[in-house]
Amino acid sequence: MGLSTPPAAPAPARRTVPLAWVVVGVLVAVGILSAGVAAYDITRPPSTPGSVTLTDDLGRQVTVPYDPAHVAVLGPSIMDSMYRLGLRSHVVGVDCYAPSFGGLSSDYSSDQVQLWNLSSSMCIQTEPTFDIEELLALGPQLVLATTIVSVGAVEQISLTYHIPVVMLQPATLTGVLLDEQLLEKIFGASSSAPALEAEIQSAITQAAALQTNLTNAGTPFPTVLLTYSTDSNGYWTFGPGTFGQSLIELASGASISANSTLPYPELAGEQVLGTDPEYVVYGTGFGLNESYYAQAPFWSQLTATQDGRAVGMDSNDFTEPDPTMILVGLPLLISILHPGTSA
Amino acid sequence: MGGLSAAPGAVPRTPGRRRWVLVALLAAIGAGVFLSPVLGTYSIAPETVLRILLHQVSGGALYPNPCAGAPVPVSGCAGLTEIVWDARLSEVMLAVIVGAALGISGGTLQGVFRNPLADPFLLGLSSGGTVGAAVVVVFRVGVSEQNLLLPLFAFVGAVATGGVILVAARSRFGSVETLLLTGVALSSFLSSVLSLMLLYNPTGSLQVDQWLLGNLGALDWTQDGIAFGVVLISGTLLATYGRELNLLQLGPDVAQSLGVDSRKVRVRLLLLASVTTAAAVAFTGIIGFVGLVSPHVVRRVAGSDYRVVLPGSALVGAGFLLGARDIALLAFPGTLLPIGIFTSFAGAPFFAYLLYRRRRLSTMGGS
Amino acid sequence: MTAADPPLRLRGVTVRFGGRPALQDVDLEVARGQFVVLAGPNGSGKTTLLRAALGFLDPDAGSVALFGDDVRELPVIERARRVAWVPQEETPRDDVPLFDYVLYGRYAHLGWLEGEGATDRAAAQTALESVGLGDRAEDGILSVSGGERQRAILARALVQEAPLVLLDEPTTHLDIAHQLDLLDRVRSLVRDRNVTVVAALHDLNLAARYADRIVVLSRGRRVADGPPAAVISEELLARVWGVVADLRRDPRTGAPYLLPHHLVPTSPTAPGTMLGRGPVHVVGGGGSGAPYLRALSEAGYRVTAGGLHLLDSDLEAAESLGALTAVEVPFAPIGEEVRARLRTLLASATAVVVAPFPVGPSNLPNLEEVAGQLGRIPILLVRRTPGPVWDFTGGRAEALVERLRRGGAREVAGVDEVLATLAALATPRPSSTPTPAQ
Repeated sequence: MGLSTPPAAPAPARRTVPLAWVVVGVLVAVGILSAGVAAYDITRPPSTPGSVTLTDDLGRQVTVPYDPAHVAVLGPSIMDSMYRLGLRSHVVGVDCYAPSFGGLSSDYSSDQVQLWNLSSSMCIQTEPTFDIEELLALGPQLVLATTIVSVGAVEQISLTYHIPVVMLQPATLTGVLLDEQLLEKIFGASSSAPALEAEIQSAITQAAALQTNLTNAGTPFPTVLLTYSTDSNGYWTFGPGTFGQSLIELASGASISANSTLPYPELAGEQVLGTDPEYVVYGTGFGLNESYYAQAPFWSQLTATQDGRAVGMDSNDFTEPDPTMILVGLPLLISILHPGTSA
Repeated sequence: MGGLSAAPGAVPRTPGRRRWVLVALLAAIGAGVFLSPVLGTYSIAPETVLRILLHQVSGGALYPNPCAGAPVPVSGCAGLTEIVWDARLSEVMLAVIVGAALGISGGTLQGVFRNPLADPFLLGLSSGGTVGAAVVVVFRVGVSEQNLLLPLFAFVGAVATGGVILVAARSRFGSVETLLLTGVALSSFLSSVLSLMLLYNPTGSLQVDQWLLGNLGALDWTQDGIAFGVVLISGTLLATYGRELNLLQLGPDVAQSLGVDSRKVRVRLLLLASVTTAAAVAFTGIIGFVGLVSPHVVRRVAGSDYRVVLPGSALVGAGFLLGARDIALLAFPGTLLPIGIFTSFAGAPFFAYLLYRRRRLSTMGGS
Repeated sequence: MTAADPPLRLRGVTVRFGGRPALQDVDLEVARGQFVVLAGPNGSGKTTLLRAALGFLDPDAGSVALFGDDVRELPVIERARRVAWVPQEETPRDDVPLFDYVLYGRYAHLGWLEGEGATDRAAAQTALESVGLGDRAEDGILSVSGGERQRAILARALVQEAPLVLLDEPTTHLDIAHQLDLLDRVRSLVRDRNVTVVAALHDLNLAARYADRIVVLSRGRRVADGPPAAVISEELLARVWGVVADLRRDPRTGAPYLLPHHLVPTSPTAPGTMLGRGPVHVVGGGGSGAPYLRALSEAGYRVTAGGLHLLDSDLEAAESLGALTAVEVPFAPIGEEVRARLRTLLASATAVVVAPFPVGPSNLPNLEEVAGQLGRIPILLVRRTPGPVWDFTGGRAEALVERLRRGGAREVAGVDEVLATLAALATPRPSSTPTPAQ
């Protein structure tokens, strides 16, 4: 019953440390070592070669090579600038969606692909996750990126692989101008920056002049809804602090979403119907057209729609903060909101 | 009463425990780590990949010119080496580390909660980590600083959430049911906080979505090193609790009567599991199913002894995640899928298969 | 922890769940090598007491000590070395082999990361054999029957090598053979290894047979404590469990055993009256006593009856009312044993009603015993209708009745007068013996 031997003598005392303790100890020690070495490694300052120092749109201090021959562009707005600056030949890679799920054509419209002479061999996957391999194969000396590239990816490119990354994400129309100046600083003489900057400046000045005239004459700005997408709930538009908002203001329009609490709000159908803007400008392209917006709530009841003041505009002209927005989008919007004035 | 079936002192061997399978798996993972860099989004010939690997591992002694005879891109052999060694191999290592971490955490949580549907994120770790990551993204915290801030915030967020639940665990209301409910409530709350935060920064929502889908890339050796270190320490400590977990399966009272302080042990296990999980996903984002499925595979193959289930789940998790990475690259060539999508995609039917095949008195059957 | 410390000592332990007290001011000291059985109805606090002894709960008052040390101050693993627990039921999650299941009991004896050694495994195998599961070591805990599972749990407790073992209803799922077997083993554990055992048992008869000492709990209080022969009685069963039973003695073991009959009917109490102060005994036979039994019972009195013969309709009536009875075999004269029982019933009664029954030599002792109660308690004689012969004893019955009349017995005409008389006897107390507790 119970034990076969009486429970008297305790087990002999262990003289050697049990194997299990040794194993655990070794594993923990290796772990500490690994983490320690890695942490030390991280605190050492990264080294990036270059000779031009600048501050990018996100406040980062970056040192880049002067007039790099191979550049990766991650963001259609930057591609627009590069093209207009005559720097297309420097571009070796552009941002793409996952190749099996859309690839190049998800980010760039067919017009853009044609105009800018892009091909899928230039694809660097940025969404749904960032893929470093193509970038490494293309071996650029500089990466220009918008915020579609995640923070982690930016740091991987710059800190692990020592390729400098300049973030270009203007928040206002003036910011676009500043970006051109930044690019001029990098590429120097090979860019036609001064000409472009002058064009942009002129467009902005003209728009400002119209603004002043209208204000002095006491003419109220027409109310407008500038929408880039819609669903069964309402209309997506720009709120305060966005470049879309700046665009409307500079085009002498009064955005009905100027007082929203969010930067990219969705206005409910009832809200829009209640405010009943004089003009509705909707973004087309990438599969969006008028019949798509016709399904939006209360679309046919809006005065603007009934009076023929619902006008489509290529999304590329106002959804990316780039020169095209100012040189094409701005005049177009002015001509819509103020018929009769020359662009 | 009852005859002696064996001589006194002879130990009955328990059949049906195919532990050798786990040893074989360990070998397979070792081979997998070496061979997986052959697969990637940029196509490189397998021989070239292997030569590059051997060249790097031997410190330059073997294959002094690894790219000889192979097509070389603009960035040259240096570029190919960067792809194979820095990008792919560190990604493969991370898959092993994170898979092991998720596996062992999943096994622990299934043991602590005595519930076969528990997974490492049960304590709201996923929501906490996501909110932590989102804080960095939305408020653009230190974009120009070293690349540890996002994982750090994610880690702190995850562990803090787990910590709230652990405080509940130590109180007199620390029953298993309370913990589960608290975890669920916290998760919901944090999800709404997250949605609110993202309304203010939609581009941030893209990045947070990426984080939620899980991503093995975008990392390097130093981050691997930290993940490895933390996971190794907390994972090893977790594995030492196998016997206590066995006893906890009998119920907290019985376990206590046998000498296991249920409440204390539960808190320790949950803390260690939280740290393990948080350390892993801080770098990769949320990867589902690995922690849920791995313990089931081990139990089916090698029995329910937690001294085997815990290390076994680590192995199976590592193999699962590495395998998922490889299969995703084979199925969608040239595309890097968020790994979390793929583990769910593959994991769900596999889990259904496990459910379908369970026998009446298997690990999931309870009286 | 010294050799002199008792394995288990509770001092003034009170445990409340919400507002309800599960244990009230319980004192209990168990000496080494005792086999103590905790008995009591459901909800009496047996399980709570065991749980307090295991340190699972914090008493609201009082202290619990295991071998001299307060259980709540002992680390959990030390508790496991001192006391082993065989719970009522376990719900394991996985189909663990019995061998491993029993091996779990060695936890308290192993160091951190120390694996089970040959001694541990041998102990597990031996324990399994000792509960008759030696050849089932490979079977899973979920695949065996409930009884086998219980035995495996006992084996696990054995392997724990604790000097105190607590068992909570261990015989619940066992068939009769295994019940005896298990208790035999537990008893030899006590006798051969000096292990102290405290077991909560449903079955009082098993308790009487195996226990050295029975502690009875009722509503959280200790109401009886002592060796089985001293503790077990019909009165205890009726009072604590509310069951009417006959007490017998097991001829083989000498232990008392109870034959339960039916539940004690609930009776109202009214202060200042005879109601609720004790039973009224009815002496009758041949159907004469039945109306009185029924009327008294309806009025709220507890009734007892006897001596009656089996098959007598009065006996049927008495039993249907839940009355304790003194019963003799048919056609036999009322023997010594039944007389003794009748005497016991009369001793507990607060009044006697003598129904107009035909008296013969076989039931004359009824009147003799009633006469023995003269002066102690009121005796109500129901007047007989003149006419039919009722005395078949050659005049001895009439003489006894006359003696009762002269001794102070009251004559009453029928049922109504019986009830009225009893109601009028407001607060009489029997002269010598005190009224038994309710």
